Formats: sequence, C-alpha cells, structure tokens
Amino acid sequence: MNKRLEPFLELSGVLTGFSRLQLLGTAMANEYLRTLDAVLPSGVLDEMLARYKQIPQGTDREDAVAAAILGDPKLGPVARNLILLWYCGSWTALPDAWHTAYGASPTNTNGVVSAQAYQAGLQWALIGAHPPGSSQQGFGSWSVPPEKGSL
Amino acid sequence: MNTDERYDAVVVGAGIAGALIAKYLTRAGFRVLVLEAGPATAQSFDGYSKHLEHFYAATGKGPESAWPPDANAPQPDTGDLKNNNGYFVQKGPNLYGSSYSRLQGGSTLHWLGVSLRMLPEDFALRTRYGVGRDWPLTYKELEPYYRKAEHEIGVAADVADQTYHGHYFPEGYDYPMQRVPLSYSDQKLAEAVDGLQVIVGNAQVSLKIRSYPAARNSTPRGSYVPVGAFDVRSDGEVIDMNLGQRCAGNTSCTPICPIQAKYNAGKTLAQADRSKLKLLAQAVVSKININKVSGAVESITYQRYYGAQHTVHEAKGRVYVLAAHAVENAKLMLASDLSTSSGLVGKTLMDHPALYAWGLAPQPIGAYRGPLSTAGLEELRAGPFRAKHAAFRFDIGNDGWRATTGAPDTAVAEAVTKQNLFGKKLYDQLASTLPRHVRFSLAVEQLPDTFNSVSIDRDMVDQLGNPKPVIQYRIDDYTQAGMAAARKVALEMFRRAGIEDCSNAMEGTWFPSIKVGDDVFHYHGMGHFAGTHAMGSSKSDSVVDTKQRSWDHQNLYLVGSGSFPTMGTSNPTLTLSALTICTAEHLIGELTAGF
Repeated sequence: MNKRLEPFLELSGVLTGFSRLQLLGTAMANEYLRTLDAVLPSGVLDEMLARYKQIPQGTDREDAVAAAILGDPKLGPVARNLILLWYCGSWTALPDAWHTAYGASPTNTNGVVSAQAYQAGLQWALIGAHPPGSSQQGFGSWSVPPEKGSL
Repeated sequence: MNTDERYDAVVVGAGIAGALIAKYLTRAGFRVLVLEAGPATAQSFDGYSKHLEHFYAATGKGPESAWPPDANAPQPDTGDLKNNNGYFVQKGPNLYGSSYSRLQGGSTLHWLGVSLRMLPEDFALRTRYGVGRDWPLTYKELEPYYRKAEHEIGVAADVADQTYHGHYFPEGYDYPMQRVPLSYSDQKLAEAVDGLQVIVGNAQVSLKIRSYPAARNSTPRGSYVPVGAFDVRSDGEVIDMNLGQRCAGNTSCTPICPIQAKYNAGKTLAQADRSKLKLLAQAVVSKININKVSGAVESITYQRYYGAQHTVHEAKGRVYVLAAHAVENAKLMLASDLSTSSGLVGKTLMDHPALYAWGLAPQPIGAYRGPLSTAGLEELRAGPFRAKHAAFRFDIGNDGWRATTGAPDTAVAEAVTKQNLFGKKLYDQLASTLPRHVRFSLAVEQLPDTFNSVSIDRDMVDQLGNPKPVIQYRIDDYTQAGMAAARKVALEMFRRAGIEDCSNAMEGTWFPSIKVGDDVFHYHGMGHFAGTHAMGSSKSDSVVDTKQRSWDHQNLYLVGSGSFPTMGTSNPTLTLSALTICTAEHLIGELTAGF
C-alpha cells in the first residue's frame, strides 16, 4: 500500500469538503498522486504531505491547513490546484513566478488530466448533476428537482 | 486518373442531406455513389466510442471537441474565431461565428437536435412584411414533407404544443414520439413567466415557455420504433446496438450524444440498401466537370487520401447531387467555375447570430442536468414587427453557464483561487449557487444580404490544393434591432422570475462582438448556415428551383440549407430534410423516367 495515500486522502478531504470515502469512491486518488508527482518539482508533494502530518492531534484541521499549507507561498498554490483537480479533473498551470522560485516543470500546462479524471470531477455530484456525456441519469430524470450531493 | 463505374446518382457529402438521398434512391433500386470528404470514424460503434473518449479528455469542450478534422478535409472551428486563423478566411466586417464538421455523418453528429418547422409566414416574408424574399414554396406544399422528415429523423413533440403562429398539422397527425419531458428548470421558469406581457413593435405579446420538437428519442407513439445506436461493421453488416432508444439525460447533445439517442445521419446511411450503395469516405470532390455546350455535368473529380498521399479519380452518374454543406456546395461550384445565370452562388449567406443571457435564479432549478435544452420561447418568431426588425426565439438551457462562462469549472476556480474558499465553505458555496444557473440563447433572424457571401481565392488553399472558403459577413440594422429587442425581452423575463442578471460578457467566454449604438452585443453562431444557393422561381434570381435542381445544369442538384431563400427563426435541419426528401422523390421519378 502506498504510504502517501492516507495523508493524501485526509488532506484532500479537508481541502475539498468531501469525505475520505467519497474521495476513495472516485478511484482517482492514486492517479492524482501520480499527476502531482509528474507535474511538480521533486519533493514538493512529500513536503506538503509532511506538513499535513505535522498538524497536532486535536487541532481544527481546516484552520491548521489554512495556516500551514494554503497560507504558504510554496504549498498554497499547489493545494489550491489539488482542489481544482478533485473538483474538475483538470490541472491549472502554476504561475511562472512559482516555478522560478521553487523549480521548473515541463508538464505544467492547463488541461484535463485524463478521460477518467474528467468523469470523476466532484463538482457534478455535489449538485446532483453528472459530467456531460457520462453517468447518465435516465429518461426524464431532469424533470424532477435535483438531489443534493448524490455522490 | 481512374474512372470509376457509372452510377445512377453521385452524391457529394454523407451528412443528413446526402444520407437521405442515398437511403431513398437505393431503396428505390438505384445505384448510388456517396463521396464523403471526411473520415468514416463514427460509423462503427467502437469508432464512435473513441470520439466520446476524445471528448472526455479534451480540455476545451466546444461543439468540435469530439470531432477533430483530418488535415485533408479541414473544417471551421469556433476556437479559431478569436485570432481569425482557421479554415475560414474571414474578411469581416463581422466574424461569422458558426462551424460545421466534415466527416461521415456530418454536423448532425454534434447538433442540438432542435427540429422546428418554419412558420407559414416565413415562406412569404416579402409579401407579408416587405423584407427579405418569398420562397417559391408554401408551408402547405412543404407540410407533407415535414411529416416525412419528422419520421425519418425521429422527432419527439406533441402537436398540442406546436399549433402557434398559424402552424397547422393534418387532422389526426402527431409526432412519432411524445415530447421530451420538460426540465425542472423549464417548469419553474414557466411558473414564473407564463402570461408575462411584453411590448414588441407596437404589439403586446403574452409569453409562454414551450416544449420544442427535438430529434431525441422519447416515448414512441403507435407503432413507431425509436432508432438508437448502430454499428456498421467493416463487412457492411449493420448491428442494432439496443442502446439509445430513449434519451437518458447525458447533457451532451452537443458535442456528442454517448448513446446516440439523438439523431445523427449515420442512422439514415445505415438504413440505405447497402447492396445498391457505394460509400467512399476520405474522398474530397475537387471539381465538377461540365459539357460546355449542354451545360450538363459529365463527371466529377475527387481525391482519395491516405495520410499524406492521395490519388485522383473521376466518377460518373446520371445525376449529381451536391449535399456537402451550404458552404462546401458553394465552394465547389465556384472552384469548378460554375457561375450561374443569377450570379448568386455563394451569396446571401445567413446564420442566426445569437446572444446569451445568463443569471442566477432565486432558488435551485436543477441546472446541469438533462438534454442541453428542452424548451424555448417561440412567441416572438412572428408578428408585424418583422417589417421593422428581426424575429427571434430563445433556447432555454438546462446546462447552466457552461456555454456562457465555462462553469462549473470556472465557478470552482473563482471560488478557490479568488475567494480562497476550501473545504465545507467551498462545498456549500458551490452547492448553493451552481444549481441556480440559468442560460438563455437569443437566436436572431438574419435576412438574405448579397454582401454576405462565400467566395474563393485561388491563392488560399488547403493541403490538397482545394480553396478555403472566404467569408464576407455583416450583421445589418434589421438584425441588430432584433438583438436589442430580444435582449430587452430576456431581461423582462429575468425580472419577473427574480433571476439576477449576470450577463457580463467581460466575465464570460470570449465571443465576437458588434457595437450597436451605445451597446456592445457579444454574439455566437448557431451553426445555421443557409442561403448560398437559394431556390426561386426563375433562373435570373435564384440558383436552384423548388426541386433544388440547378437552373443552369439540368442533371445537377444542390441540396441542403444552402437552398433556403430565407431562414426565419427555426433551426434549419428539419426544413432541409423535408426539402431533401422532396428532391429524393423527384429524382426517383426522373431516374425511373430515364433521365
């Protein structure tokens, strides 16, 4: 088992507002770990996970993540990108200034990560909808009120 | 150069018009060659599924995103508009905002499926209102063909919803399938705005949200069997996939219906008599060859490509049917030096330039679910105001702000990167706003204007040496005034429904714009190309007659929306299908009589 998976899921849960089980249910966690490894300069992902693991037991996770990760000039943009990755299945290029400061990456471009990532975007399930062209809801489903958070 | 065997009919283009001609003629026993410029990648179910995967992985998800062109048969792409560096050479002053696809199945692979008939008054615009030009046909004459077209492509609607503005149907007729259920948002909007009185021109009009006829499979009537997905194998065998007999709400009519519950021309091709049909994809027709004395077509030249290689061939038939698209038909005529008596080939290009209005409903309306739209506003497609300004219709979206701003992705990005939201606060903000997204498309009529045209420039060619279409286009005062009237009605509907107007074009997706007085209208094309080989009652003022036969070349037919003298406000596919079926029946008569 990938040792990074648990802290990655926990951190992702705090960042996205979705539960560990909901995130696991997308079957995308390992692909997103690989995506981050591929696009980020070496060591940045592990640094983010280590920072998360340093949060003491008993503290408010959201406050701690806001301070230790989202507020950090190096890790903040990466964490926000991770939110977009979970919600939309796409990577948003980090600004040039970030790369100048923290290391270059040839694969840092805007785009949908994969066909699977597009279909797994959390934004659709959140509103009782579905990614266009996938996860069809059935004849006439659109004529009744939406269900909330039908993930 | 190789000359193929001789056919009864040689058809250029395997979109909806070419497919209908092929189906009717082969089933009547005639041998038909269909030459399709693009590839046949959507013909097998596996191939179609690869297009779906391509769409999933595409970063931009516009109308063309599932259907990348082959470089040998290039096509316009709305993504090229901003820099004006695409297949179309746009001369302005305004940008022509529409696109089409060159592949087997044509643009029906990514159309929305709206199958409105034209209104009776649309056929006599000049007589009724002193603008545009009259058709050489009446609604009454075309009406039987509308019914045939509604069965061929499989249209879902209830006649009870469609008897407005003088529309009539024969006693006892109803559409082959019941209407597609209205979306929850349609119902909420109707509760709020039905009966709203607006003033347009000098008349007071009462508004109503109305289901529109759609080529999407729904509950069948009588013995009608909905046609779903198909799989044409490499040996020509056609397999019914037992999929797509009902729309399942994929919210993806454009660019690709995953289950083919929405009509595409591949279905009609699959219904042709395959023993009489020769269908060649990757075959780009480059020239129509004419007998200089009689004017009759003697053959057509086409290029078959395989990657960077191509070979040149010639095909012969008793009749020739150009069904390549309004732009491609005109381009091919001009590239073959076939100027006509009227000089109107390529002229009077039209579209429905459309504005978006988008807003935030006071409560959740279930956005981002269902077919991209299920209802429209049809009340302002007709009326005395047409003497002064363009008519218009609204398409009421079920897809939130996808088309207008790129939401939900852009809304997520805004919340995360601009408002610094994350976790539960992010979740709650998105949950409380996204389901309230409302979108209208305000599609505005455009009159035939000879300035608006497709031409060619021998110096501007694609990689096979075929000319690229040169487009000259302007949106005139008549249409601009229609845009202003449409915008006003949309805002009145928003106010009545308590919808907060969010239509800030500067914060939305980029679209071409036009300055009208102090206003700037951002418009998009509807893909409704028409008018480039218009029909009429004499060779001096039209390119084809009511059978879409060229006035100057007796065995040449130009079919499709290029034949429309005017377009009114209806999406053109149903009308062009009705005209094409009329032509197909005429051709069967001519070929039987010994053309």
